[in-house]
Amino acid sequence: MSIPKPTGPSGTYFESMGITPELCRQILQTALSNGGDDCELYFQHSASNSIQLTDGKVSQASTSLDLGMGVRVIQGDQVGYSYSEDLTPSALLNAARIASQIAQAGQSLTVQSPTIHSVPNYHPVQTGWDSVNMQTRVQLLRKWEKKAFAQHNSVKRVDVFLRDGASVIMIVRADGKMVEDWRPSTMGYIQCTVESNGKTESGSYNVAARGGLEYFSEERQVRLVTEAVNRALFQLEAVSPPAGEYPVVLAAGPSAILLHEAIGHGLEADFNRKNISIFSSKLNQQIANEHVTIVDDATIEGSRGALNIDDEGNETERTVLVENGVLRSYLHDSISAKHFGVAPTGSGRRQSFRHTPIPRMRATIMENGPHTHDEIVASVTKGIYCAAFSNGQVNIGGGDFAFYVKQGYLIENGKLTQPIKDVNVIGNGPDSLSKMDMVGNDMRVDEGGWTCGKDGQGVPVSQGMPTVRVSSLTVGGMG
Amino acid sequence: MNNLEQTALEIQELALELGAEETAVSISHSISTELTQREGILEKTQQSNSLGVGIELLVDGKFSGHSASDVRLESLKPFLQRAIDATRFLEPDPHRVLPGLQEMGCANGNTEANDDSWETQTPESRRALLNNVEASSQKASSHLDVRSITHHVWDSKVQSHVCASNGYSQGWQRTSFGMGGEITLVDNDRLPEAYDYRSARHLSDLPTVDELSAELVKRGESRINSSGISSGKMPILLRNFAARKIIGTFLSPLQGTAIYEKRSCMLDKVGQQVAATNLTIVDNPLIPRASGSRPYTGDGFETKEQTIVENGVLNMHLLNLYNARRLNRPPTMAGASNICVAPSELSPMDLIRDLPQCIVIEGFLGGNANPITGDFSYGITGRYFEHGEFVQGVSEMNISGNILELLHSFENTANDVWIFSQYRTPSMLFNNVQCSGV
Repeated sequence: MSIPKPTGPSGTYFESMGITPELCRQILQTALSNGGDDCELYFQHSASNSIQLTDGKVSQASTSLDLGMGVRVIQGDQVGYSYSEDLTPSALLNAARIASQIAQAGQSLTVQSPTIHSVPNYHPVQTGWDSVNMQTRVQLLRKWEKKAFAQHNSVKRVDVFLRDGASVIMIVRADGKMVEDWRPSTMGYIQCTVESNGKTESGSYNVAARGGLEYFSEERQVRLVTEAVNRALFQLEAVSPPAGEYPVVLAAGPSAILLHEAIGHGLEADFNRKNISIFSSKLNQQIANEHVTIVDDATIEGSRGALNIDDEGNETERTVLVENGVLRSYLHDSISAKHFGVAPTGSGRRQSFRHTPIPRMRATIMENGPHTHDEIVASVTKGIYCAAFSNGQVNIGGGDFAFYVKQGYLIENGKLTQPIKDVNVIGNGPDSLSKMDMVGNDMRVDEGGWTCGKDGQGVPVSQGMPTVRVSSLTVGGMG
Repeated sequence: MNNLEQTALEIQELALELGAEETAVSISHSISTELTQREGILEKTQQSNSLGVGIELLVDGKFSGHSASDVRLESLKPFLQRAIDATRFLEPDPHRVLPGLQEMGCANGNTEANDDSWETQTPESRRALLNNVEASSQKASSHLDVRSITHHVWDSKVQSHVCASNGYSQGWQRTSFGMGGEITLVDNDRLPEAYDYRSARHLSDLPTVDELSAELVKRGESRINSSGISSGKMPILLRNFAARKIIGTFLSPLQGTAIYEKRSCMLDKVGQQVAATNLTIVDNPLIPRASGSRPYTGDGFETKEQTIVENGVLNMHLLNLYNARRLNRPPTMAGASNICVAPSELSPMDLIRDLPQCIVIEGFLGGNANPITGDFSYGITGRYFEHGEFVQGVSEMNISGNILELLHSFENTANDVWIFSQYRTPSMLFNNVQCSGV
């Protein structure tokens, strides 16, 4: 089951479920009955589907259907939150009463009548998944499996996964702003197991976007399969690198996991509002080399991190975080924006109606610098080249971060030599920023299906960067 | 018959009416409350009352799984109809069948998973506990330059029921209580942080607020002036609350899917020595009041205690019914319950007192493991000791190696079993582990 893009007038999708503007006004009024500075309702109807090919058979499928409303009351920096999966008026009003308990006899806000606002469209979809039948999906999986086996005779097993989903959300705020949005998503994933000379290894690759069937162009399908097979074959040859501190060259594209962990999280304004980020109080200070400019951009069409509107109903944008090495902005939700006296950056996001919005990244990008990829590699006498990653983590206050390298190379005398794998690389955010001394001119937004976790909430994100040299990071190898 | 069972049976009946041959319906209802407080101000309250259903369908020998939060039959009917129609386009999987009713069951013993005192919790009692946690942490940290301490309390009650078209029908309920905090300290230009969260089935099993605060502050203090030490091979002591990472790394390649797909370093290891002879790992779902205790498995089998590793020898792969059938072997367990490592009589300090050097690992930062090779690489935080004397806090370091080699280098456990998670492990000492720092 897929949810098509609503065709009726914006703001009317949930009316068929009995959610009228007048009911919304009543819920808001109930939520603010004890006072409060602000309040919003977040309605969500979502569905997702996945099918999997395993053992040569498309024999597993699942669907998920979710419907509910979250209500948030804000008083200063305080939040009262409740949600309901039952959209009857009595259940919604009860949720509002629970959320209202955060406020205590403050001045009651006057609730304005909801008025629909239009939103831009950064999710251009030609063929929505609601119009793609099961046979077409099965054919896609079969095609990928066949291509993977044909790619190399060491391929012994192929598992293929296709997922699509869509949500309709509606946000109604006490100030009368009402927005409705449709959020599609899709992901293709292949895992290959290879055997050679008694060794077994596996490799995987995935691509993800806010797109329809057309996202899987012939070119992308070939890349999806080829990368998965090549990554598995690569693992057969790769070894653990030596342990210790080394110069690290980060390949263009997925290496932006470093940006995400080392810098991005520390610039989320809830941490800075509480003064517990290592970047707190560093606005307008030089925190990186002058070649380093970092943005967080919700407007990259079709990207997994693209957002037409954030989950508080604020407009999204391209936010310049670091400009020529100078820290320019944090990522704000409404609460932090009010705290700092600035406009929200459209970064208030939540996993679903069961969660409160908090400042989050969308698509975090480092812009091009002056160096070529080859210049950067040639500059390293002995170091590590990181090409593919699986996960990362950061300590916000200490600034220590880590990312796990699935695939890379040793760099010896300016050349890529021995393939390496399965190593954790660790560093400190501000320290690493100061050590980013070469920035390439080959920026690439990674097409992988990254999901960012924070406070128990996962949200889809994108990331990209050019080739970058960090003069020293700790590599968790052997010997 | 309770309401959940009634609803589950109605959904099952609907699925069968619409064309499913067999179904398993699991339904759960949870009520949870969470409060967060910082600097004396209640930052966040969240309450939820949530219902969800999972439905497994077998249609013409073909399998699919579905979930929904709207359990009204008028909503579920079109959803199920579409799901059943779509399932027909799949290929059959002969291993996806329900077990026979006579094979299914439910443990008789009372795991005491439900604390009746949950019913008496009030907004005032929760707030009082939160205030106590905050007062205690402020007192415990008064000698430090504290930037922030955030405090949490939470509780929940979950009722679940599962029924299958072969007549199986079982349900149970459990409560959970928790409290914890995150501390951020000032250390020159850095703001090192630490956390401690505890949860238990019964409110009275939580530690005192002073015990929680003392540990939280101690963990925070150890982050001050922390840095990497010289790379090399040395002993590591995994603190009891941190040991689950390594035990989890070991259990991952034992899972049935990894075994069936031959993506496991444990493929041919049953009956072999995979760890030092003094290491025994048991899964015990019947420990009263323990976090992971449960009366039946995800496959609907009665739970029972099972030894995964006995004196270093691997006894079993972890096979749920589906993977067992694919492998033509008997099932062992569908998911772990309480993973237990036996303690010794020695304190953690007893274990490291005579060691020339040792890193006591208190947390992990990133990292991952390759289940096919068993190779792992994890970032670590903790404290460095020489001859039992604290030398410095440790950060920006990694440990790397192979899980089988690591388990063979296991030396001993301490006497401090961690009871606040389903990994009931004491602190564990390993020898000769590759640590990379400066």
